[in-house]
Amino acid sequence: MQKILKNSMITTGLLLCSTSSLWAADGPKPPSSLSNPFVEILAVVIVGLAIVIGFLAKLVIDAAFLRMDKEKKAGGSGIASTLLTIFFLLFSVNVFSQDMAASDSTAGAAKVTLASQLSGVSETAYYLLSTVVVLEVLIIAALLLMLKTFIASEKKALATAAVAENSIPTVHWWDKVNNFKPIHQEVDLDLGHDYDGIRELDNNLPPWWLYGFYCCVIFAVIYLWEYHVSKSAPLSKEEYEISVAKADAEKAAYLEKAANNVDENTVKLFKDPENLAAGKKNFETVCAACHTATGAGNVGPNLTDDYWLHGGSIKDVFKTIKYGWQEKGMKSWKDDFSPIQLAQLASYVKSLHGTNPTNPKAPQGVLFSDADSSAATKIDTTLKK
Amino acid sequence: MQVEKFYYDNKTVKWFAYAVLVWGLVGMLVGLWIAVEMYYPPLSMGFAPTTFGRMRPVHTNAVIFAFVGNGIFMGVYYSLQRLCKARMFSDALSKIHFWGWQLIILAAALTLWTGHTTGKEYAELEWPIDIAITLVWVVFGINMFGTIIKRREAHIYVAIWFYIATWVTVAMLHIVNSMELPISFLKSYSMYAGVQDALVQWWYGHNAVAFFLTTPYLGLMYYFLPKAANRPVYSYRLSIIHFWALIFIYIWAGPHHLLYTALPDWAQSLGTVFSIMLIAPSWGGMLNGLFTLRGAWDKVREEPVLKFLVVAVTCYGMATFEGPLLSLKNVNAISHFTDWTIAHVHIGALGWNGFMTFGVLYFLIPKMWNTQLYSKKLAGTHFWLGTIGIVLYAIPLYWAGFTQAMMWKTFTPEGQLKFQFLETVTHILPMYVARSIGGAIYIVGVVIMTYNLIKTIGQGSFVSDEAAEAAPLPKVIVPHSNEHWHRWIERRPMQMLVLSLIAVAIGGAIEMIPTFLVKSNIPTISSVKPYTPLELHGRDIYIREGCYLCHSQMVRPFRDEVARYGEYSKAGEFIYDHPFQWGSKRTGPDLARLGGKYPDSWHYNHMMDPQSMSPGSIMPAYGWLYEDEINAFQTPKMIWAMRKLGVPYPEGYEDKCNKDMQKQATEIAERLKGDKLVVKPEKEIVALIAYLQRLGKDIKAAPKEQITGDAAIPGN
Repeated sequence: MQKILKNSMITTGLLLCSTSSLWAADGPKPPSSLSNPFVEILAVVIVGLAIVIGFLAKLVIDAAFLRMDKEKKAGGSGIASTLLTIFFLLFSVNVFSQDMAASDSTAGAAKVTLASQLSGVSETAYYLLSTVVVLEVLIIAALLLMLKTFIASEKKALATAAVAENSIPTVHWWDKVNNFKPIHQEVDLDLGHDYDGIRELDNNLPPWWLYGFYCCVIFAVIYLWEYHVSKSAPLSKEEYEISVAKADAEKAAYLEKAANNVDENTVKLFKDPENLAAGKKNFETVCAACHTATGAGNVGPNLTDDYWLHGGSIKDVFKTIKYGWQEKGMKSWKDDFSPIQLAQLASYVKSLHGTNPTNPKAPQGVLFSDADSSAATKIDTTLKK
Repeated sequence: MQVEKFYYDNKTVKWFAYAVLVWGLVGMLVGLWIAVEMYYPPLSMGFAPTTFGRMRPVHTNAVIFAFVGNGIFMGVYYSLQRLCKARMFSDALSKIHFWGWQLIILAAALTLWTGHTTGKEYAELEWPIDIAITLVWVVFGINMFGTIIKRREAHIYVAIWFYIATWVTVAMLHIVNSMELPISFLKSYSMYAGVQDALVQWWYGHNAVAFFLTTPYLGLMYYFLPKAANRPVYSYRLSIIHFWALIFIYIWAGPHHLLYTALPDWAQSLGTVFSIMLIAPSWGGMLNGLFTLRGAWDKVREEPVLKFLVVAVTCYGMATFEGPLLSLKNVNAISHFTDWTIAHVHIGALGWNGFMTFGVLYFLIPKMWNTQLYSKKLAGTHFWLGTIGIVLYAIPLYWAGFTQAMMWKTFTPEGQLKFQFLETVTHILPMYVARSIGGAIYIVGVVIMTYNLIKTIGQGSFVSDEAAEAAPLPKVIVPHSNEHWHRWIERRPMQMLVLSLIAVAIGGAIEMIPTFLVKSNIPTISSVKPYTPLELHGRDIYIREGCYLCHSQMVRPFRDEVARYGEYSKAGEFIYDHPFQWGSKRTGPDLARLGGKYPDSWHYNHMMDPQSMSPGSIMPAYGWLYEDEINAFQTPKMIWAMRKLGVPYPEGYEDKCNKDMQKQATEIAERLKGDKLVVKPEKEIVALIAYLQRLGKDIKAAPKEQITGDAAIPGN
């Protein structure tokens, strides 16, 4: 038992070290896909479950050998198949850990290709990681089931044994983990305190609890050291700068390949129904709030008439949507929509011209016609701010 | 030795138990109401007191201070007498305590509904009520220590250690956080501003959870669990270690509510590491409770009291494990501002506090009425409804929180935000529906319990004064030769009080003093100017309507937040914010950079009918802002108070402030007129628009190096 405890302590210690070195690696360089919080959480869950599996597996094997010894004495058979199952399970654990490595590398590959992503985690990586978690849970369930069977048969044997020869009972693993004393020895632990009938025992602290406490304190020291003494882990602002730099690089790499790299100088008017429908959809979700769904205008100006405050050509409209006119209440939409979406929106706005909606807002700005793009008659602009 | 006869006072316990039942139901029903408002906004009925912003503080205050508060007093008055083998110190003080507390609750509900709030979460009550709380708390303290001092038991039991720590820490938290400057009978401004106010507030807020919802209930667990199971407490040593570790460490963890905000990084890190170190002390309590049941698990199947206590302790274990995980920065980056936090606190509130209270009620009432519980079967039904209710409440909200955070953070490959804010809200509305069903099931369970207890009371006869006898305490207590060293302090309640105070004072002091005194913690930005009188009025309206309960004013340094809202928030921006308004939940978008984003007319229409400007929005309408007028009479007093608190308004500005206010209001009214919206400049909506248009404007005028240069300051 002592050995197991020691082992688990070493594992936890190693775990701590490895996480801290991860941070260290994250420091100056842009963080790897491992720094994605979602992947990190999953990885921690996977490692945690793996530890549980290891622990349970050891117990099951111990129990199995114990039973095999007994059955040998009794001349029974059938335990071999159980052992086989256990080994198979343990073997599969190894396979899964390889899966894990594989999924990590897939995640790395996905980063390069930038395939369809779920909050920065590639779909394959996401599903692989989740599969590992699910399989681990299944293994734990299977191991627990086995343990239960062993314990049940053990209990039965114990009961008969107790009747037969009054032998010393074997200690339950749960009792071992918590350093429990048998209940019949409780009298020796009684401290003699009595508060309104409540007595107190002098049991030991559960060892895993105590070592867990130590681990947390060590974690705290390492954490403070990393962030504030060695400064190898990025503080909030550095973390922000790293993430923006990484995102900018990814975006640049993507746009280089992508076909939708339009701006206000290259934008062309869409006339096909597909692009106009896409523009309409976005218009109705966001623009309609100020311009109404028909474009008749409300808080914002009327978009269906011949007058424009900031120019009525496709390039002007694109520019207005992209950068906004902050002082007049038109916000910039370039962080909300991609260039192609902006072009769709601008084209849709242009398509509204002359639709004569009900309850239109009075014209504002300058008369504009696509045929003659030079500005003409100026109308009364007292209404505009 | 001569045995003394005396009587336990059950009457006060009875009154507190009744109060628990009444306020519990009220608080939970208000909670259900606002849970439905989340997906059905018309439920706010266009009536100010029933909008989410005003109902939410009513819900939290009712559940924390009325339901759990009365639960604490019920349990303490019952157990303390029996653990000290003495009647409560003074029946008169017991009476003052009970009625004083109920009056405070009533005053709290009325003032919160009518919009009188300090704008600090869980400390919303205005200054006269704060003073009343202090007085009643002192009454409780005298009554408690009086009882402890005249006890007939040589040593004080672990439950009482927790009661003592609770009393002294809550007193400290309440007084420090409630420092405010009154300007009228029900209006005051926090003495602290911005970052400092945030630090004090969350030091308070986190430790209200620790020392109002946790330590007193651990005390109750240490009495009622061994009593109900009739088993000895598992480990005396564990009690000692986890008690001292818990109260010492807990107090440091407050800054984990402010991760990635403008709070200095060193304070954030302290919040994180102390939260992680808190796992073991918290679990010490859970283990000592669960292991006490060793050899009594067969009773748990039979006895409703134990069923409730076991689930309560288990929920405590889950919540205190999850809490530290949420304090890790990478997890907090996802969970904060989402419904994840709401799910987390309800595991604690519904599971730990709720179930513990129910267990204690099922224990006490048959005992005090000298009878058996009316129906164990109904108690079993309550147990299952409650458990299912908690699960159905929490899981959808965990889901909603995680989903929404992921949607906020998702970019398209072209580098644009993939989802509009509103899309992320409408996406999770089904989860809100499921959550309200879970909550409703939980409440049905509470109604069944109330029925069961009324029936129990009906069949028993109340023992008002319960006879008991014990030998008096000898003048000199001779210590046992080989006793544990901790027994020394268990004979000395006053030293216990002082040591507890020292243990809980250290953490707060180390975090607060440098934040207040070291200048580099809050670098100044020269373009940040005080609010104009009109904006100040608008800010008061913002606080009155509880806008901060759904909208944050804190852009964290994340790529998605900067893209969505603008430049991330800096400590220097908030130096004139009495109180700070960073918020803790984003049901609506962040407003820190709202100024200038939309025209005045947008705000005008939006406050009148939010769905007209943002289709699908779940924000309630604020019709009364268009009828009520700004209280210009108060402006000079507001200016005076702000100057007192350090906002640099020139001397004598009180005489000119209303003129300035009128000028600015007329300008806004003129602009609205330009958009065919006619409004008198005196109306409240004009002030609110002025405030909203000011948000985040100052920093745009700041010199570049002042905004970015603060990272270079050493020790920051």
